[in-house]
Amino acid sequence: MDERRKLFLKRDPYSPPKDGALFLRSVRALTEHHIRNCPEYARILEERGFSPDMLRSEEDLYKLPVIPTLYLKRNRLFSVDEKELRVKASSSGTKGKKSVVGLDKKSLRLGIGMMFRFFKYHGIISPVPVNYIVLGYEPSAHADMGAIKTAYGTTKFAPALSRTYALKDTGSDYELNLEGVKRALIKAAKSPFPVRFVGFPPYMYFLMKMLKDEGIRLKTGRRSTVLLGGGWKGFSGLEIDREEFLRLLDEVLGIGRERCFEFYSAVEHPMAYVKCSEGHFHIPCYSRVIIRDIASLEPVKDGEAGLLSFVTPLVTSMPLVSVVTDDIAVRHEGPCACGLNAPYFDLLGRAGVAGIKTCVSGANEFLGGKNA
Amino acid sequence: MLDVINKLMGTAEKPDMEALKQRVSAARRLPALDREKVIRACGALSRELASPEYAAMLSGLGMPEEKIRREISLAAEMLSEGYLRERVKTELGETEDAVFTPFGSARPVKRGLRPLGVLLHISAGNVDALPAFSVIEGLLTGNVNLLKLPREDNGLSAAALERLCVIEPAIEPFVEVLDVPSTDTETLAALAGLSDAVVVWGGDEAVAAARRLARPDTRLIEWGHKLSFAYFSGAQADAALYSAAENICMTEQLYCSSCQGIYLDTDDFEEVCRFAERFAAILGEVSEKYPFSGGDRIRAQKTLELYTEELEARPNEKRVFRANGAGVIAVNDGALEASYQFRCPWVKPLKRERLPETLAPYKNRLQTVFLSCADEDKDALSELLLKTGVFRITDGRLMSREYCGMPHDGEYPLLRYMKRVSVEI
Repeated sequence: MDERRKLFLKRDPYSPPKDGALFLRSVRALTEHHIRNCPEYARILEERGFSPDMLRSEEDLYKLPVIPTLYLKRNRLFSVDEKELRVKASSSGTKGKKSVVGLDKKSLRLGIGMMFRFFKYHGIISPVPVNYIVLGYEPSAHADMGAIKTAYGTTKFAPALSRTYALKDTGSDYELNLEGVKRALIKAAKSPFPVRFVGFPPYMYFLMKMLKDEGIRLKTGRRSTVLLGGGWKGFSGLEIDREEFLRLLDEVLGIGRERCFEFYSAVEHPMAYVKCSEGHFHIPCYSRVIIRDIASLEPVKDGEAGLLSFVTPLVTSMPLVSVVTDDIAVRHEGPCACGLNAPYFDLLGRAGVAGIKTCVSGANEFLGGKNA
Repeated sequence: MLDVINKLMGTAEKPDMEALKQRVSAARRLPALDREKVIRACGALSRELASPEYAAMLSGLGMPEEKIRREISLAAEMLSEGYLRERVKTELGETEDAVFTPFGSARPVKRGLRPLGVLLHISAGNVDALPAFSVIEGLLTGNVNLLKLPREDNGLSAAALERLCVIEPAIEPFVEVLDVPSTDTETLAALAGLSDAVVVWGGDEAVAAARRLARPDTRLIEWGHKLSFAYFSGAQADAALYSAAENICMTEQLYCSSCQGIYLDTDDFEEVCRFAERFAAILGEVSEKYPFSGGDRIRAQKTLELYTEELEARPNEKRVFRANGAGVIAVNDGALEASYQFRCPWVKPLKRERLPETLAPYKNRLQTVFLSCADEDKDALSELLLKTGVFRITDGRLMSREYCGMPHDGEYPLLRYMKRVSVEI
């Protein structure tokens, strides 16, 4: 099965591997592995009339039944003994319902290798030490949200001189530390080393607004970088225009748009997608995106909106080969004006909406409450 | 995290509490609000609702045509003079002061009803324009009304109340519409401090928050969220299934009174599954008649939820039957729960003997039951259900349809907003 190394450790993540059947073979082999090792998953596939030999070409990938996020929130699907899991992360989900995703040594090694190549390609990995400003939670013993781990993990892509957190751990809870962030930022701007911002877009936006309102303009240096994840979801009423965001970035912090990276990722699909200069998430050779009809879950044509689903042969510890998220997206074939030929997707929103009007007792756990 | 952002953004402006206090004191000093004036103003508003601008307003909120017609005609009826007069009569009974001599006493007493004084309405947005109806009830009982709009308010309530004040200027000093976010507990506590009673509509969170806000000297009037369902015993004609399906499609299972699911008086899961399959076909058919009001994002969410249920299904535990976007989930446990809503009811086995113990834990959460059974069982089953927290037993189609003068969650709202007074002469 370690043919997969050829797929995940490619130097250019956006060019297809020479061996065109590699992806399909890897998916098939991994699916067979999960069928053998996860009886629950084997049952699901069997009940839905699927067998791995149905995957004859990439056009058949949609036939591999998708596992929805909600299923992973309520059920545990492991293909290895839980003792073998090296890292566990949970989604920052709705009340009491969290997906727990665990990676074994093999998946982790492959994943880290992939992420390293991927970030290197995007110029995010750097040997130059940086001062980190994390616009999110400080890691702590009392929280294990994937978002925190991702943010912390992201501070490993360049050596850290310092790390300052917008949400400081108080031992039992978090408190907002914007003043501390401001002080650290002003100090860092005077240092010869670049600054790296990591976190959620609304926080970044708010920080920049605050600096602007106070008349603070900083030159953080040409090599300073902004890494944004978690998307804009959950912050209703805070629909921030991306262009305005990028203008502020240049104006207040002196960081050009080419140094602002926006990621898409999901706990159930441990992989990263980077927004290109045209605002699209390009799909690397490690995965396939299938947009599914909102009523039938059948694939829709490129250009049509539907539920965002992924196929990837990355994880051996859990059958996450084919998963469907709660996100609504649209897929397009390349090429793109940014220069990449790879296909891409655009996020349009989320399934369900917050603030549904209901007076049914106990209904809130299903509705609303989708805020991260 | 969202709270942090909201606090930072400080979107809503704080009301000027000093000015508000003065206006409330001034309103308290005014002569009693004439109930007839309120009723006639509501009547005028009711007649206005027929004009196309109101339909356009609802259409602008994304409401489907068919629902607009239904909502407008319902609102017009509930605001009509005849309806309100009848409500006052039923709910308050004798409204004029009366003099009587108490048993064993020689001294005559004047008895009567008076407004509580100032009501703070903390309103949920669960029914369109519900906040306005809550305030109108406060006006009918002569109270000064402070209204905290729900977070996701669509502007209907404020518009309706504003119109009412234009029609009848005497009402104006008795209404204050406030746009205070729920996170601003300081302002809300100050508002509660100004009020004689806090009227709270909403879920556990809202009710618990109101309990924290109100000091012990402030009366709490809680209209909490409820659950409603159907109870079917014996062989069922299609008519009963259509009746439940109508309620489910018409209300999208969003109301306290909406049918969340159907209990069958059996312990045979096979029977439950056969019924669920039959019901799914009927639900799918009725669905055609009522355009889905949830939109694409909700549709996508329901698809994922039903699909997840299908993945979790087991022959003896859970099965899913889908038709036309609707889905019926047969579950082999008796636990009462909210459905996924938007045409996704459950069907569960629950023998009548187990009704009391099964429903007992849901104290203060139950509301309406659509009971369908043989005529000779009706009285016994009704009494059994009413011994639990259930308040109303009716037909499926009528579950979410109030009749004039109907008690709400076991109480007459108008009576709750008044106090009984006695003056010894």
